[in-house]
Amino acid sequence: MSDTAREEHVHGQQWAETSHCRVADVRHFGAFAALELVAPRVAAKAAPGQFVMVNVPGAGFLLRRPLSLFSVHGDRVGLLLEARGAGSARLARLEVGESVDLAGPLGSAFPHAGVTSALLVGGGIGCAPLQYLADELTAAGSSVTAAFGFRDFRAARAAGAFAIERLWVSSEDGSTGRRGTVLDILAALDVPPGTVVYACGPTPMIAAVQLWALVQGLMGFASLEAHMACGSGSCHGCVVDTARGKLRVCSEGPVFALDEVRP
Amino acid sequence: MTASLDLAQVSLGVELGPLHLEHPLMDASGTFDLLEYARRYEGDYFADFPYAAYVPKTVTADARTGNPGPRVTETPAGMINAIGLENPGVDAWIAALPAWAHLRQPVIVSVGGNEPGQYAAVVRAIEEYLAGAASGAAPAIEGYELNVSCPNVSGGLQIGADPAATAAVVGACRAETPRFLLAKLTPNVSDVTATARAAVDAGADGISLVNTFKAMVLDHDTLRPFLGNRTGGLCGPAIKPIALRMVAEVAQALPDVPLVGMGGIMSGLDALEFIACGATAVAVGAANFTGLEVPARIVAELRAELALRGLATPSAARGLALRG
Repeated sequence: MSDTAREEHVHGQQWAETSHCRVADVRHFGAFAALELVAPRVAAKAAPGQFVMVNVPGAGFLLRRPLSLFSVHGDRVGLLLEARGAGSARLARLEVGESVDLAGPLGSAFPHAGVTSALLVGGGIGCAPLQYLADELTAAGSSVTAAFGFRDFRAARAAGAFAIERLWVSSEDGSTGRRGTVLDILAALDVPPGTVVYACGPTPMIAAVQLWALVQGLMGFASLEAHMACGSGSCHGCVVDTARGKLRVCSEGPVFALDEVRP
Repeated sequence: MTASLDLAQVSLGVELGPLHLEHPLMDASGTFDLLEYARRYEGDYFADFPYAAYVPKTVTADARTGNPGPRVTETPAGMINAIGLENPGVDAWIAALPAWAHLRQPVIVSVGGNEPGQYAAVVRAIEEYLAGAASGAAPAIEGYELNVSCPNVSGGLQIGADPAATAAVVGACRAETPRFLLAKLTPNVSDVTATARAAVDAGADGISLVNTFKAMVLDHDTLRPFLGNRTGGLCGPAIKPIALRMVAEVAQALPDVPLVGMGGIMSGLDALEFIACGATAVAVGAANFTGLEVPARIVAELRAELALRGLATPSAARGLALRG
């Protein structure tokens, strides 16, 4: 190997990112796919709430797709994604044995040390990072309750990917779980004081949960979503309004204090 | 066909005006944040910095919050963005300089504004700071790139589309600094050589081109403009053939003026194409968004592409596309 090639190789190894991660398992739930990738370097550093940038295999895709970590087991990283556009549809068609490039883990994590009671509120594909958080909280002995809301029967197929003991589901069309939104579940819950709220989902849901938590006197965290180009702080494409001004979802986020986001 | 060279026989250094660059590659302004990369790097990023010069995100006289979202999305063979020159303003920008003062490579500061006085105020503030700064308090700021071509703020694109307005900005800044001065031109004109000539006549030492192409993407559900700013700037591989043509036109019209070519460079071969069209140096933009290791890869590829063709230096390739 020449000096130049070696330099490039060394440079390539200095990032917390992993090339050619093999797909070890795929489960499909309607338009949703739960992937498990062998990615030891990402798995070793990951924390719930963080995300990875995933290369879409094949020509014709320029930007990587940001996907939050759905699970981490040993050297395997789980992702839950929904086939929406051409890129996510290609990722949802990945088969066991194929490989993709991952960059990560990126972004801020859900603070959860010392939390004894947690309420996880998710909407649609935004539920994905809450599985990983539930796994970590449960392992640490916390009491975990989850409330997930879905638009309709198609969207609610994602619920099948989750394994959380106390999980309440709503759908706006009444096809799955309680008819209504996740706020209807929250209204019926008896939430102990000191419970920490973790929210991830569409902007109107974040706004509603923020107000609900304020009324209940609960503190918490929200993970936000935005269209993203670089995923690494350079492009300023993913900024959101917060009490601290415009902040980048990829760099200062995706996890923010629930009371500082301005959905 | 010339015989290939060994990689070690290729010397990548170039002279961009008075600047000596270790190789021809720099980042395109706004696509690469040095401190964000350093934060994610497990080694010493300042020791391993891959570009030969650093062009930070455009700085303006006053702080700008930028455009409402969404600001970016992918397009066929490219992407569109409308960030809107979000930046903290020149005073806060200067205050943050010590954090990266130990960068070894030369820095070319990208400057934005709505009228000549705003551009000149940024250059003046930086020059005043550098004149009084203690050794080690600032990186090696060796030049400026006047961004008269941002399509996503009111004013910027209009300046770059008008040779007289471009000349006014360049002239105002020329009066504030003896350092290397680049004018970054917009491709959204019918004759890019006219704005290039106006910039050089007003005192620019070199030309950067191209900035992004003003473009629009629709939301497929609502059939309304997708971006919060309605329009944005198109970049990526989709624009490379047009950018190559424009670089070649300016290189032919102004053969003695140093050019920094850019527009959809994803590989070392793409970089070599811009050099063959007359660029002395080249800038990598959207490719920075596709992987943290991309800059080092493109530098290594450029060396290999030159070696493959028996070209010992980038200068040996410069202008090859322009010959009769």
